[in-house]
Amino acid sequence: MITAIKDGLRAGLITAIIFTFLILIGFTSVAANIIGDILGNPQVLNNETRLPVGNLLIFIALVGLFTGLVTLKKGSNPPWTDVLFRGLTGGILAGLIVGTVIYIVGSFHMEGVDFRAYLPNLGASQLGYLLFYSTPIAASKTYLLYFTVFSLVGALARKTLTMLTGLRNKLKSIKSQIIDWSDKKNFHSLVGNQLFQAGLIILVGIGLYFLPLVWGSYWNYIMGTVAIYILLGLGLNIIVGFSGQLVLGYVAFFATGAYTFALLTAPEPHAVGLNLWVAVGLSTLVSILTGLLLGLPILRLRGDYLAIVTLGFGEIVRILIRSDLLTPLTNGPKGVTNVGQPIWRGHVFSDVNYMHLLMLLVLAGLFIAKRLKDSRTGRAWIAIREDQTVAQATGVDTYKYKILALLLGAAFAGLSGALFASRNQFTGPEDFALMVSVNVLCIVIIGGMGSLPGIILGAFVLKGLPELLRELADYRLLAFGALLVVMMIVRPEGLWPGQNSKKGKMATFSNSLGEDNLEEKV
Amino acid sequence: MKLPVIETQNVTMSFGGLTAVDRVDLVVPEQSISSIIGPNGAGKTTLFNCVSGFYVPIEGEINFFGKKIKGLPTHKICELGISRTYQNIRLFNKMTSLENVLVGQHPRMNSMWVESILRNKHYRQQESQALQYAYELLDFLGLSDLADIPAFNLPYGAQRRLEIARALASQPKLLLLDEPTAGMNQQETAEMTSLIRILRDERKMTVLLIEHDMRVVMDISDIITVLDHGQKIAEGKPAEIQSDQRVIEAYLGPGVDEITKKFNRKKTNNAKS
Repeated sequence: MITAIKDGLRAGLITAIIFTFLILIGFTSVAANIIGDILGNPQVLNNETRLPVGNLLIFIALVGLFTGLVTLKKGSNPPWTDVLFRGLTGGILAGLIVGTVIYIVGSFHMEGVDFRAYLPNLGASQLGYLLFYSTPIAASKTYLLYFTVFSLVGALARKTLTMLTGLRNKLKSIKSQIIDWSDKKNFHSLVGNQLFQAGLIILVGIGLYFLPLVWGSYWNYIMGTVAIYILLGLGLNIIVGFSGQLVLGYVAFFATGAYTFALLTAPEPHAVGLNLWVAVGLSTLVSILTGLLLGLPILRLRGDYLAIVTLGFGEIVRILIRSDLLTPLTNGPKGVTNVGQPIWRGHVFSDVNYMHLLMLLVLAGLFIAKRLKDSRTGRAWIAIREDQTVAQATGVDTYKYKILALLLGAAFAGLSGALFASRNQFTGPEDFALMVSVNVLCIVIIGGMGSLPGIILGAFVLKGLPELLRELADYRLLAFGALLVVMMIVRPEGLWPGQNSKKGKMATFSNSLGEDNLEEKV
Repeated sequence: MKLPVIETQNVTMSFGGLTAVDRVDLVVPEQSISSIIGPNGAGKTTLFNCVSGFYVPIEGEINFFGKKIKGLPTHKICELGISRTYQNIRLFNKMTSLENVLVGQHPRMNSMWVESILRNKHYRQQESQALQYAYELLDFLGLSDLADIPAFNLPYGAQRRLEIARALASQPKLLLLDEPTAGMNQQETAEMTSLIRILRDERKMTVLLIEHDMRVVMDISDIITVLDHGQKIAEGKPAEIQSDQRVIEAYLGPGVDEITKKFNRKKTNNAKS
C-alpha cells in the first residue's frame, strides 16, 4: 500500500512538472490545436477570438491518462485496490500541483499582471484559454478533476492491458504446444509464393497509381517532398551507406541539378528554352561532372578530413550562386522563377503527374540501388566501408570505386534537383542551405546505414512527419533532437538496419565512417 | 633458370630514425614454404608490408617473377598474384563469410557497374561462377556451415581460416601469411599446418609466412630466414637454423659466459668508483 502511494506520488510529480513546463513554454495550446486539427474542430469559435476549450480538455485528459499509465511499473501486476490507489494518488497530486500553478498564475492575470515580460508564451489570450475563460478557482478545480479521473482510468487501463497480454501469452504458449508453429510456416510459404508476390506487387502498383488522384494536392505536395528526399537519400546512401565516405556537402549536387534545369528552361535570365527532358538529362550530367570535379582531388582524403572539405564545398556552391560575380549567370539571391514544367498530353504537369513521375523515379532508384548493392560493385563498396586498406589489398581499386560512388550519388541528386526546381517552379540559393545535407544524412543514418527500406522510412519520419506537424513549427527541432537521442539509445543501428548489421555491434558504426589505421599508406 | 617468386634486393625501410628493415635480400623459390622468423620488432611484418605494397621501401628492389613491383599500389600487386592475411585479423566485419570470399574474387572478375544493373548474360555467368568458387573455398576451409554469418560473429579460429579463404579467392601465386597459428590450440595448429602443406602440394602455391611457433616453423618450412633488428642474420634449412649460433643469441640473448663477463665488469667498475 505504501509503495503504491509512493509510486503514484512519483508519477504525479513527474507529470505535474512536465505539464507545468509545457504551460510555461506555451506548448499546451499548440498541442490543443493539433488535437483540434485531428478532430476537425474549428480553431476559432463564433465571432469572438476564443479557442475551443474542448481541445485543451482532451489534451489534459491525455496527460492524465499518461499519469495513470506510468503509476504502474513495467512488468508488475499489482492487485486492483493497489491500482486504484496508484491512479488516485498520482492524479490528485498532479492535479493539485497544476491546479495551484494555474490558480496562482490566473489570479495574477486577473489582477492585470502581464507575464509576457518574463515568459513570452504566457500572453493574455493564452492564459485566458488555459483558464477556460472562467475564474482561476473554477479552472484549477477542473484541472484537479480531470487529472484525478483520467489518471484513475489510465491506471485501470494499464492493469487491464497487462492482464490481457498475460492471457494472450498463455494462449500463445498453449497454441504453440498444440500447433507447433505450423501456421507460421504456412505464412512463410505464402509470402515466398511467386504468384502471391506478383499479385502483391500489382496491388501495390494500383494503389500507388490511384493514391495521388484521391488524396488531394496538399498531400501530393508533402509526399512529393518526401519522394524527392527519398531520391536524395538513395543517392547519398550510395556514397555514405555503401562506400562509407562521409560527404557532408551533398546539397551542392542537388543545387547544381536544380540550377542547371532552371537556367536551361526558365525565360529569365537566359531564355534558352531547351526541351525539358533534355534539360533533365543535362542537369544530371552537370551534377555528375561537378561530382567528378570534387571527387578527383579530395577522395584521397579519409574520414574527418573528407567530411570537412565536402562541408565547405556545399557552402561554396550556395555562396557562389548568390554572389555578385555569378549574378548575371544565376540571377543571384533573387533566384530563378518560372522554371519550365513538362507537358503531358497537351497539359502542363499537374501535381498528380509530378507525384506519378516521382513515384516511378523512386521505384527506379530503389531498383538500381538494390541491384548495385548485391553485385561485384556493391560488395567492393561495402568492403571499402568496412576497411579501406584491406579492401585495396584484396584487389579493389578503392579510388576508382569511391569516385564511382560519388558520381552515382551526384546523379541521383542532380535528377532530384531538376524535379525539385520544376515542381516548385522556382529555385533560389536559400533552397540549398547546409540543413538539406544534414537532413539527407540524417535520413540515411536514422533509416539505417546502407539499408534501402530504412531510407524510405527515414524520409517519411524526417520529412513527412514535420510537414504534417506544422503546428509544432518552433518545436520541430526540439522534437527532432529528442527523436535522435531516443533513436540512438533504442535503435543504434537505425530504424530499419541492413540485413547483416542486425547482428553486428554498435562499435562498427564509427568504423564504417572511415576510421582507418593512419600508419599505413593508401 | 626458373625465376624465383619473390626476390628482394637490398630492401630497406625506415620510419623516422628507426630502420625497421635493413638491406634484406630474400629469395623465395616457386612452390615452396618459406618462413620468416625473428624476435619481436625484428621487422618481419614490415618486410611483409613492403612485399604486399603497403609500404614503399626507401631503397632496394622487389621482383615478383622478375617483374618489378616496388611502388605499385596494393590492388595492382594483388591483381598480379600476391595475397595476404593479417597479424591482427582484418575481415570485412559486417559482411558474411560468403561475401568476404566474394570480395576476395574481385580482381578475377571484370563485370562493370552498368552490367550489375542490367544483369546481362556476362554478369550472371560471372556471378554464378564466383558464387560456386566461393562455396568451394568455404568448403575447403571447413566454413560452409558459417557461410551466412557475419564475419564479426565468427569464432576466432574460423576468422583466421576465413582470412585465408579470402586471400585464396583471388587465386594468388604467392600467399603471405602473417602468424597464421597465433592464438590457436594444438589441434587447430595441426590443422593449419596440414592446410598450408596442401596449399603447396595440391594447389601448387608458394607460401611465405611469419610464425612464432617454432614447432610449426621447423615442421613445414623449406627455407627459413631469420631477421633481427631489421637485418637478415641467417638463412637455410630448418636443421641449419636450429644450430646457428647467431639465431640462438638473437632469441635468447648472448651466451651465459658473456653475461657473467658483463656482470664482472660492472662489479669492478662499481668497486673503482
